Amino acid sequence: MASTTVEPSKKPHPGGRCPLVCGALALVRRLAARCPHATRAAALLAGAVLLAVTFNAAAPLGLPWLPSPPGRVGIPRAYASRLPEINAAHALSLYRSGEALFVDSRDREDYEEDHIPGAMNFPMRRWAELWPEMQSRLPRDSAFVLYCYGAHCGLSTRQGKMLLQNDYDDLLVLDYGWKAWREAGYPTVRDLESAAD
Amino acid sequence: MRRAARYLGHLLSHGAVVRIVGLGVGLVFIYASLDKIVHPDRFADIVHDYDMLPLVLVNAFALVMPWTEMVAGAALVLGLWRRAAGLLATALTVSFLVAIAQAEFRGLEIECGCFDVSGMSATEASWDLFLRDVGLLLGCALVWRRG
Repeated sequence: MASTTVEPSKKPHPGGRCPLVCGALALVRRLAARCPHATRAAALLAGAVLLAVTFNAAAPLGLPWLPSPPGRVGIPRAYASRLPEINAAHALSLYRSGEALFVDSRDREDYEEDHIPGAMNFPMRRWAELWPEMQSRLPRDSAFVLYCYGAHCGLSTRQGKMLLQNDYDDLLVLDYGWKAWREAGYPTVRDLESAAD
Repeated sequence: MRRAARYLGHLLSHGAVVRIVGLGVGLVFIYASLDKIVHPDRFADIVHDYDMLPLVLVNAFALVMPWTEMVAGAALVLGLWRRAAGLLATALTVSFLVAIAQAEFRGLEIECGCFDVSGMSATEASWDLFLRDVGLLLGCALVWRRG
């Protein structure tokens, strides 16, 4: 009679699961026995992640999980293409042609120190306070170039998002903002004043 | 004094008291999560303002954190896995305390993002809010340790 014994090393795993899964399950079981509340808290957290993924996928104003570029945090997927970024050279051509109004999203004291000539100041940090007054100064049929301090400052994209939600359509965000304009050596109010002097 | 402390300890370990505190904390967490779930973009802006996380993590945090509040709050209200939910609520509240404290130390004038994130009745992060969250932390810790 032939022997049917299997060598221990070649013995198949129960249920056909790979050793990795079995090991992981054993680890979870051991953790659950040792610290049950932490394991359950982790399970609740996993449930929250699952709900967040599902709800965000279905929500009309869902966010991208990884903002791209990183400075565009808090911009819903639906708005990504409606808030294009332009470089300083493109902004200069719009400035010279007068095709767009420039909006400076920085704080008032920074605007007063220096800004792009003709730009109006609408500090994003004071949106709620200033919006009733500003909306009469921002014609809806005009194009706007929004800028703030520099890379990843986020104030101009945030202002763009708020303007989109208030039925403004033609919005552009100056990539790297005031920093890009200054570094390109384009005209500023202070330059024009010192030239006039 | 010692007798009062002993009485307080006895009261706080009473099952009904822990259940009531858990219910209260759970309702606070559920209410706090609602506006953030509806307006994740506004909440992401506030998280950005706290300036604590790398930019690539801000959206993910703003999406997951409100649901964590909701799940922990629902578990506390329903009395399911109460101690685990208390632990999660404690961890969340500690993170709120750290966020508010660092904002205050750095002089950041920012919205709290505690309940309202859509600007209807926004409150500024402050030491008053810090103290309020310390109270919340005590409730969460009680449910975690004694639930």
